[in-house]
Amino acid sequence: MPFTITTGGSFTSTGVGVKILLPSSADYFQTWNITQLPLAPATGVVVRAEWFGPKFGLGQTAKNDGIRWKKTNSVNAIEVDTFGTTTASDGFTYVSINPTIENQSTNPITAITNASPAVVTHTQTYSEGDILQFYGTTGMLQIAGMNFQISSVSGSGYTLTGLRAATLAAGTAGYTRRISKYLAVDPQYLYVTEITKATSAVVRTSVDPTAYYVVGMKIHFSIPYSFGMTEMDQLTGTITAMNATNYTMTVDIDSTAFSTFAFPLTTSSPTATLFATVAPAGASTRRDPNTFVETGYNFQYQAFKSGQFTPYMYLAGGAQSPAGAASDIINWQAYKFEN
Amino acid sequence: MSFPTGITNINNMAPELPVQAAEDLLSTPQFNLIHSFGVDLHHAETYIGKTTRMSRFERLSTDGGQLDGSGIDPASEVPVRTDIDATMEIYAKSIVTNEQVVLFQNSKTLTKFTALLGQWLREKEDLLMRDLFSSSVSYINCTGGINGDQPSNITLNNVNNIESILLGNDARTMLTDIEAENKFGTSGVRDSFIALFNTNMTADIQNVQGVLLKKDYPSQAGLRPEDYAQISRFRFFVSSKAAKIPNISMLGRTVYTIPMYGLEAAAKIEQNNYTAVIGYRPPWVVSSVGQNSQLYAKFAIARAITNQNWISGLNVTTIQPT
Repeated sequence: MPFTITTGGSFTSTGVGVKILLPSSADYFQTWNITQLPLAPATGVVVRAEWFGPKFGLGQTAKNDGIRWKKTNSVNAIEVDTFGTTTASDGFTYVSINPTIENQSTNPITAITNASPAVVTHTQTYSEGDILQFYGTTGMLQIAGMNFQISSVSGSGYTLTGLRAATLAAGTAGYTRRISKYLAVDPQYLYVTEITKATSAVVRTSVDPTAYYVVGMKIHFSIPYSFGMTEMDQLTGTITAMNATNYTMTVDIDSTAFSTFAFPLTTSSPTATLFATVAPAGASTRRDPNTFVETGYNFQYQAFKSGQFTPYMYLAGGAQSPAGAASDIINWQAYKFEN
Repeated sequence: MSFPTGITNINNMAPELPVQAAEDLLSTPQFNLIHSFGVDLHHAETYIGKTTRMSRFERLSTDGGQLDGSGIDPASEVPVRTDIDATMEIYAKSIVTNEQVVLFQNSKTLTKFTALLGQWLREKEDLLMRDLFSSSVSYINCTGGINGDQPSNITLNNVNNIESILLGNDARTMLTDIEAENKFGTSGVRDSFIALFNTNMTADIQNVQGVLLKKDYPSQAGLRPEDYAQISRFRFFVSSKAAKIPNISMLGRTVYTIPMYGLEAAAKIEQNNYTAVIGYRPPWVVSSVGQNSQLYAKFAIARAITNQNWISGLNVTTIQPT
């Protein structure tokens, strides 16, 4: 079957994962680390990587795998194996559906603290700001099925800024997988983890809401009775302020006299109804003639449109992965069979 | 040289051509298209941008209003308008065919491939609308099922809860009732909201308390083939491509999302003059030696949830892991 290069390009690595959008899809994909090729770097530095698609049948590349061409220690000799070979490193993940599941973490969670914010102990290779789908949690059962944005990421753990977990039982086990930042359509629904009782309620979400919503947008609340603040259920409010550091939004709803918002107890799982969410509900277009402040004209955020483009190739970051280490220049090519 | 003798049969006189084509093509598989027929259809004009705005006036407050005879006018109210925006996007697919396909092997490929592209148009549109429902709507986990998971398998109470939410938000039903008739085993079907579910859930749907399967409707006239059952105030429509998210339940099972909605909850906007374009590029255009021709199909679509009050839904798992 003849091959055609459908697209190609180059980027300078920042040491983290990179998404390559592939409008024509791909049957074969390769990267070259142009920076490391002429050097004699430490053992395991990947200079070339290859991925084979489903058309290769039994020879297709597994998720988060691929063939890696790596230098041996301080000499120019090449070793070839797969990313899954010991010592394993992250490779390619071809994503063609939404919600997009990126590289699968093989190491399960070992602990989730019931602190504010919650801290997760987890050996992994995730990056700052990644969004993880949590499932199969033990102890902190209430968050199974939710997704969270992670911060303060190290190789052994990360923080869930969007989860104040003081009233929850600590998690003792669980699993995660990385999902795309955006769902198939944007703006999307978000998980609510906290609502204050105030003249203008402050709503905390599990991810940074400023990536999805904008001041002036209306949001519609779905708060099951198990979360306490039933008065907020099915209300629609307008966002008046947002905070990217704390993952919060202020809305023009007076919740002073409402019941207290609280996650259902772990002991009530799995019978407690989940989850508390907000969904986009348009905007009321306004223009203040004195301040010239306009709302309702931000077509980047409030208009419904495609979210995460698919298909794309996720290249894991790092010296031993396809997207390379910081400052490495990476060339990539996507190929497609002609038939 | 020796000459064989005996009876001439199909063993020593095999046919020159071992196969023949049947008189007609077999059916191309097509999944049920359920995600568009319950939504409003709008049209975007050309030359005025790619964002379509749909606007709705919210109702006025019914508080107060009584004149007390003092001559003081009641405070006037400023109507509130909610604007819903949707961005137009274009999708396309093509098939390039070499002349030798027609010359040596296949006849009427243009007709056959045009039909395939037409099917792609409808299927792609359906999946885009499915993605809208799965991304931009709040769903509530089913609880109280027997599989011990979170969300659980679907139960009548969960369905009734969604009906309560929609009715509480003054949503209008989508489908009219089917009056009862004097037929054994049937009963009347209430006017209904719409629910869309995945084929992997059919066994669970049949087990929900109070389910009325399609065969038990008093009349089959005018029913869509995708119509599966009535539960409470919802008519459930089935598709193999309805939304699911693998392995994210508390027990790691696949979670299925069931959008449930009434009138004017969502919209599909078509671009005038670009609704469904199917075209042909002849060989002298596609190929320098005139050997390849091309068929293409493309369409423009924008989509939006137009009223979150009138749409909700359930996250469910199945009794038997799928």
